[in-house]
Amino acid sequence: MGLLNFTRDPVPEAVSGDMHNLNQLSAQQFSALTEVLFRFLTEPKEVERFLTQLSDFATMNKISLGPLKNIVKSILLVPNGALKRNLSSEQVRADFIALGLSEEKASYFAEQWKVHSPTLTRLAVGQTLMINQLIDMEWKFGVTAGSSELEKVGSIFLQLKLVIKKGSQLENVYVELTLPQFYSFLHEMERVKTSLESFS
Amino acid sequence: MAALRAEDFTALQMLLKAPSKDAVRQLCQECFSSPPAALGPLAQRACPGLAVSAQEAEQLVSALHNLTRHVVYRGLTRAEDILCLFPENFHQNLKNLLTKIILENVSAWRNEAQASQISLPRLVDMDWRVDIKTSSDSIARMAVPTCLLQLKIQEDAALCGNNPVVSALTMELSKETLDTMLEGLGRIRDQLSAVANK
Repeated sequence: MGLLNFTRDPVPEAVSGDMHNLNQLSAQQFSALTEVLFRFLTEPKEVERFLTQLSDFATMNKISLGPLKNIVKSILLVPNGALKRNLSSEQVRADFIALGLSEEKASYFAEQWKVHSPTLTRLAVGQTLMINQLIDMEWKFGVTAGSSELEKVGSIFLQLKLVIKKGSQLENVYVELTLPQFYSFLHEMERVKTSLESFS
Repeated sequence: MAALRAEDFTALQMLLKAPSKDAVRQLCQECFSSPPAALGPLAQRACPGLAVSAQEAEQLVSALHNLTRHVVYRGLTRAEDILCLFPENFHQNLKNLLTKIILENVSAWRNEAQASQISLPRLVDMDWRVDIKTSSDSIARMAVPTCLLQLKIQEDAALCGNNPVVSALTMELSKETLDTMLEGLGRIRDQLSAVANK
């Protein structure tokens, strides 16, 4: 088999056998299976649902679940690699054909890949490492009426609670700002926004 | 906030033994700025210059602390208001001198009180940087701008005394987070203008 686009590592032996089995499915069956796969890829947290749908597919089409799971594992190798390497739908199609899948099925899968790749790309970008990500911001502002040192004060204060994700834990950070600091902060954040927008 | 007592004014008259007006001025400033706990050591330092006993020095320093803090607390800014704090038989010239010194300093002292008031940790500085993420283990090629924001936060001054602890917190904001934050900040600004215009 020629050089593959989605991976540089050697492909497991079982894959060509799995592709051969896939070729035995009717177009309709292949389309249904593809739908289940993409639903999982776009919502990777829904593992329970995915397994249930696979099991239903197996029962409806009189296929054993065990072999079906192996086939699915083989198929998923391609979209996972394609996502990492920003492959086009032609490259995905070419890879499936190289692995032994029929042209018709390979083209169908590649089409579905094209449709779903913006969502999948966004998901992958979302999983990219972020340092101390800011999750949430709560605020309140008020007037200091008096203190133990000053009977009448009348100054405005602003308090922010920032929720930061440190590793897997959330940490709350409390900060107080004076009014001039707030306006300065707002001004700086607007400059950041302009900068981010010019790069988007 | 201790109220001014008759004993305080008696103690204040010991200032008549002070070597100069500047010495009185200096002592007033030190007594205001000193927290109650540090008045003892301050009295010990002042004692030799005033030719008073240790106990008298303590009473004097405490009285001056109470007087200056009382004026700042009540927000007194006029000479008449300060003069009428003193009892009738108080030494005239000393009364006038103290009032003059207090009036000179009351504005700065008020700022000092406000700056050291209790609060949540305060923002002292902020810096930002925009990076473009070009690659990661989950996706080989991308061009995603992201913002790194560093806030320098100082712990409550009252808790740290003379060595305030400043910590730097660096956080990352995606464009979406920044937009949401700006929305929130905009709402704060609108509410602040509404309050200001009332």
